[in-house]
Amino acid sequence: MTKKKLTPEEVVKYLKDEFKTKIKDVKIVKRKSGSKKNESKYIWMKVDKSVFKQAIKHLCKLQFPHLAVASGNDLDKTIELIYHFTLNYDQRLDEIVLNISVELPKSDPTIDTISDIIPGALITEREKMEMLGVKIDGIPDDRRVFVPEDIPVGVYPWRKDKTGPDKFYKNLHEVKK
Amino acid sequence: MNQKATTKTTYHIPIGPIHPALKEPVYFEFELAGERIVDVNVKLGHVHRGIEWAGMRRNPIQVLYLAERICGICSYCHPAAFALAVEAAADIQVPERAEYLRVIQGELERICSHMLWAGVAAHEIGFDTVLYLTWQIRERALDLTEYLTGNRVTKAIMMIGGIRRDITNDMLPRIKKDMLYFKDNFEKLRHVFLDDKTVKMRSQGAGILTKDDAIKLCAVGPTTRASGVKKDVRVGESYFAYGDLDMKCITPKDLTGTVNGDVYDRIIQRLLEVKQAIELIEECIDKMPSGDIVAEPKIPKLLSQLKKTNGEGVGRHEAPRGEVIHYVKLDGKSECPYTWKVRAPTYNNILPWIPMLMGEQIADIPIVAASTDPCMSCTNRVAVVSSGRKYELTKEQLHNLSIEKTRRLMK
Amino acid sequence: MGIPLQLWFMQWCDIEIIAALCPRYDVERFGIRLVGSPRHADVLLVTGPVTRQMVDKVKRIYEQMPDPKAVICVGNCGNTGDVFYESYNLVGPINNILPVDVHVIGCPPRPEAIINAVAKAWVKLETLEAKK
Repeated sequence: MTKKKLTPEEVVKYLKDEFKTKIKDVKIVKRKSGSKKNESKYIWMKVDKSVFKQAIKHLCKLQFPHLAVASGNDLDKTIELIYHFTLNYDQRLDEIVLNISVELPKSDPTIDTISDIIPGALITEREKMEMLGVKIDGIPDDRRVFVPEDIPVGVYPWRKDKTGPDKFYKNLHEVKK
Repeated sequence: MNQKATTKTTYHIPIGPIHPALKEPVYFEFELAGERIVDVNVKLGHVHRGIEWAGMRRNPIQVLYLAERICGICSYCHPAAFALAVEAAADIQVPERAEYLRVIQGELERICSHMLWAGVAAHEIGFDTVLYLTWQIRERALDLTEYLTGNRVTKAIMMIGGIRRDITNDMLPRIKKDMLYFKDNFEKLRHVFLDDKTVKMRSQGAGILTKDDAIKLCAVGPTTRASGVKKDVRVGESYFAYGDLDMKCITPKDLTGTVNGDVYDRIIQRLLEVKQAIELIEECIDKMPSGDIVAEPKIPKLLSQLKKTNGEGVGRHEAPRGEVIHYVKLDGKSECPYTWKVRAPTYNNILPWIPMLMGEQIADIPIVAASTDPCMSCTNRVAVVSSGRKYELTKEQLHNLSIEKTRRLMK
Repeated sequence: MGIPLQLWFMQWCDIEIIAALCPRYDVERFGIRLVGSPRHADVLLVTGPVTRQMVDKVKRIYEQMPDPKAVICVGNCGNTGDVFYESYNLVGPINNILPVDVHVIGCPPRPEAIINAVAKAWVKLETLEAKK
């Protein structure tokens, strides 16, 4: 873990220099809080699916990030996976939250695993597989994590299309004996 | 308990929060060589309640109350992270006084939670009297919570854009008195946990998580700080009023000079954090500015503002167990969030169990697992155990094994 | 009188039940003990929402208890679902699965309310005994 203090602009430049146009929609957001108005820094960027794994490898060379979680969005024709990383976590007030989003078409929702680079990513990747129906190539363990066994394969709780869990819910207080 | 030479024996190990009859299903599959564990497979337990799915059908303020019920012990940190995420998405600026009040509530919850944990840890080692002692201290903290917010546990104090109740000047003497009480008892607890020979024998060298593993497996919270990794959201990120306060990341090195990453270090870590929490509350009371406690007091106006917002936000908070992160996406078309993702801290602390348990004895399983302070209902886990040779070791048997080891060491 | 505790992982209520055992509220002075096995118990405390996976287990535990027995449903989740009322993983209110004798509402109910409920269940059991 390097002791070098990074700024958000440096991180963006480092990734853009390597991957150029495959990195799009970069936004750096700074929010102030408290009386001294210190800033917390967020970077949002979209990375192309084809270079995603290399981008993560490249990022690890700069500084081994902390992967907080990967969240997902169902955007009608595509599924968007957002990986939330943090850098500089041991520096006072200099932590950068890096949100990398990858869009996958619903017709082919596959992506490479990053659990060989960051072993802590295993559980969050498994969760994406069962919640959104994403296929993660190379994952060492593809069992379900949260969804109970009796919800059949093919029902994805976070999806908003017809593979969602709508037929499984009911209002508890309306259940009659 | 039958055992044959090679052994893929499966134990269903229920791990607490607390009492013998309490079970939270976390299933471990162990491969044993004699009494030692050589391979661990963690499978998680059932608490899936479909909260994120339910959240997508409510407006953000209703989601605050839903978020509170994700977990009983971390009832403040989930609404806090959610409010931070919504404020980031909608670019709402929170008044300064509210930021300080939020810190006070958060640190008070940290004291309650660590006291609860201290009782659990003592119980797992076999010292039930310490369980009752620490919970007695916790009752005092809960009384203070009730005085400030109106309830012992489900506080409903968080609001998007601020906080719901103010701490007026006439409440301050009571808070100061309680902080003195905690400081006095902190010394007592320190003596009970850190100077006791048996506690040292049981916990030193057990359940070691190396610094390297903690970084690679993305562990969070006191578990990772006890291994020497300086990861603390309050120190790294400026949120609430932590940026103004004199905060630094504590590791066991501050007390003992070395970091081993074992259970003993985790006990030290949590006790030091209680001390830090008391100091932070006192600092906040001294420095708190006057002003509003919420950015937009009229709720319909707030809701209509959120309805028109189109954006996404991430909110992170340092809960007693580690980093809580919520991601919210508002789409500007409906009141309900388009996406809401909750990640509780225990989620990241599950994979570290594997290196911690390798090479340990069965009798050490309860204390090692309890030392990471797992909160299963936060994590919403699923478990299916299916394999080879199964036999069940009930919670009593496991707990008894742990107590027997303590008695043996005490002789 | 022993009470086994069955927890459907709703942290809240469990913590308040354990708080009831601690010196502040001290339910043991009434002769009430928490036991680990249904076979030694008279009263069953069910907390939290019942998920699909747990239905059979709850029923099995209820059957293991010797007569006379009482069931107390602690907390809003088991009674009506509380905030989880529309969850796709939950199965009906607990009184669809087991015959409940005392309902304790609250999220979570205070330890005093829990002790009150246990006392009521005890009175009910004693009246049943007296009738025989």
